[in-house]
Amino acid sequence: MTEPHDEQQLTIQQNQWQKLPLIAIVYFSFNLLRQIVGQFIYLIPALLIGYSTIIESLPEAIAGALILLGVVLGSSWLKFHFYRFRLSHDHIQIRSGVLSKKHLDLPFHRIHNVKLEQPLFYRPGNHTCVVLDTAGSSKDEAKIFALPMQQALSLKSAIVHFASQPAASNGAPENEAADPSVPVTEPQEVELNRRSLSDLVIHGVTSNRIWIFLGGLAPFFDNIFEWLSELLLSSGMDLKALLDPSQQSLWQYSMTLLTLVFMAMLLLTIFSVLGAIINFYGYRLSRLNDRYIRRSGLFTRHEVSMRRSRLQMLVRRQDWLDRLIGRINLKLEQFNANIEHGQMMMLNNKIIVPSIKADECDALLQDIYPENRLSEIDYQPVDRRFLWRHCLFALLLHAGIALLLAPEAMATLITGLSLLLVSTLIYLRWKRWGFAIDNNFIYIRKGLFGVDYYSFALSKIQQTRFAQSIWMKPYNLCSVTLILACGGQSIPFIRCQQGRQIINIGLFEVEAHKASWM
Amino acid sequence: MHTEEFVNSPINELPDIETLEFTPLPPLYRKLNLLTNLCLFLFLLLATVALQWQSWMTLPLVISVNMDTIRFGLSLAAVVIPGYLYLADKRKGYALRQHDLSYRSGLIFISVTTQPVLRIQHVELKRGPIERKAGLASLQVFSAGGAMHTFAIPGLPLAKAKQIRRFILEHKDIAQHD
Repeated sequence: MTEPHDEQQLTIQQNQWQKLPLIAIVYFSFNLLRQIVGQFIYLIPALLIGYSTIIESLPEAIAGALILLGVVLGSSWLKFHFYRFRLSHDHIQIRSGVLSKKHLDLPFHRIHNVKLEQPLFYRPGNHTCVVLDTAGSSKDEAKIFALPMQQALSLKSAIVHFASQPAASNGAPENEAADPSVPVTEPQEVELNRRSLSDLVIHGVTSNRIWIFLGGLAPFFDNIFEWLSELLLSSGMDLKALLDPSQQSLWQYSMTLLTLVFMAMLLLTIFSVLGAIINFYGYRLSRLNDRYIRRSGLFTRHEVSMRRSRLQMLVRRQDWLDRLIGRINLKLEQFNANIEHGQMMMLNNKIIVPSIKADECDALLQDIYPENRLSEIDYQPVDRRFLWRHCLFALLLHAGIALLLAPEAMATLITGLSLLLVSTLIYLRWKRWGFAIDNNFIYIRKGLFGVDYYSFALSKIQQTRFAQSIWMKPYNLCSVTLILACGGQSIPFIRCQQGRQIINIGLFEVEAHKASWM
Repeated sequence: MHTEEFVNSPINELPDIETLEFTPLPPLYRKLNLLTNLCLFLFLLLATVALQWQSWMTLPLVISVNMDTIRFGLSLAAVVIPGYLYLADKRKGYALRQHDLSYRSGLIFISVTTQPVLRIQHVELKRGPIERKAGLASLQVFSAGGAMHTFAIPGLPLAKAKQIRRFILEHKDIAQHD
């Protein structure tokens, strides 16, 4: 079916309608099957219950399965048959559709991301699926379902080369980008980071936060349990009797409980580690001119690339466990057109560098934004009325509960302790809040046990919001929200002058310099 | 409509959002809103009467016993909520500068949203049946910040809304980027 010369040529035929390699049928079938399974997932229990009936009428069931398979293969073949694409020097055209025909004409300059996906079944023949993201809706997204790897790479470099030309003429420092002598031969890629298996295991463990927290508490479970049951006993509730109807001793019971909790935690940690390995196996972050490329994946190999100009915000995350072992998760967030498509899309759209060390993080930051001072700038605290306000809220809430439980002295004590705990958490949160601004960037620090830094260029601001309640006004305080293409960031309880200054400088930067945000 | 040169003032004389002069929304808008809200509560009060007098179904005991309390609550809300909204509507306003559009709202929590024209993706005029009758329109402004951060200036006189829309569409920042 396919033209045989397809496989041999390194460059793609221009101005000629082409078909996909045959292997694309597998891709179509797989996708269709996945959709069907996804649609009828709620039928699985029914199938399991009706297992015996299925066994009884085995021939019919097999016939049904074969018909389904036939339909899937047939429609995949039709899809494959009607799919054609054509490349010219600056745009790609795709004709597809069996019943309703679609014709997509996509100029290269509208493509802002080229992703290569290599599912497991594409590996033997070294094929890949090319996803062309545009800034528009997902309907405009183009997919070339299968291409030999070499062709895909040359197509990608052609698009990348085309896209980087206007940037170079804007005075970007990457002079190589405008060099016309590198159309198909790969320009040298600089490898910036690589994650080993042990890094991924660390990432899996540290990103499994709640369970680790419980794990840390595990040695004290018995004491906590004792203390709690005593407490409840003195307020008229016999926990032991409640939990122990068969008269087994408490230590047996709690040991069983403890073992179960441990097993669950171990299981979840293993899942988390497996998840990290599946997602990030063979992780490589590299840079080609001004384009950052992340490649990873155990089964389906994902390749996400992002031009520096598309980068909206840097996020440097450290949970308390990360802080303890000195690891950092760095995220490069870009424009989020698919925000309503849920987490999966978002995950594929940003570049995450998992569990790196501080020096690696600094080196990456230096490479991305040399003027960025995220790690060394002085952060200004937010006003302490942030603390008072939130504590007052907590106090009112607790007072309400205490009033309801008024006669019980022990209940009041528990409410008091809870208030103390909540206030401590609010204090920690307040201590973490910080912000800074310099000529090019805004920096925000927040967190509770961990600490997260956010930084973005002033020119990426889409919209600003200055907010003030009537209780903030007398103290000359305000909250500022800066909206970017990847979501908003707020700084609460800062001086009005500071808030206005941030907004004024941000607006000035956007409106006067007219920098593009992508 | 606007000059070709951008006035690039030095950083110590930044254009300040504090000096923005907001144009309030036309009084007709808040009066209409007040009327609509009052009608809503009147309808709810009438519904309680209708519920008591109808004979097709028996009301749950909780409701039939507390009918008077419910009516009292509704009447109280009918004074407080539309009153609050009326005062809040009075505070709403917009300000148009050469390069951005601002919208102020809120009575207790006051917020000023500023949208640079350069970052506007598109604008829409929306008119419901009441707005059409009254000759008003809402101007919706979309940025790349996503659906969460879209803002609308309601109750603009139609001519004014169209004028602002034209200003945005003909702004050289937008025209350049299309």
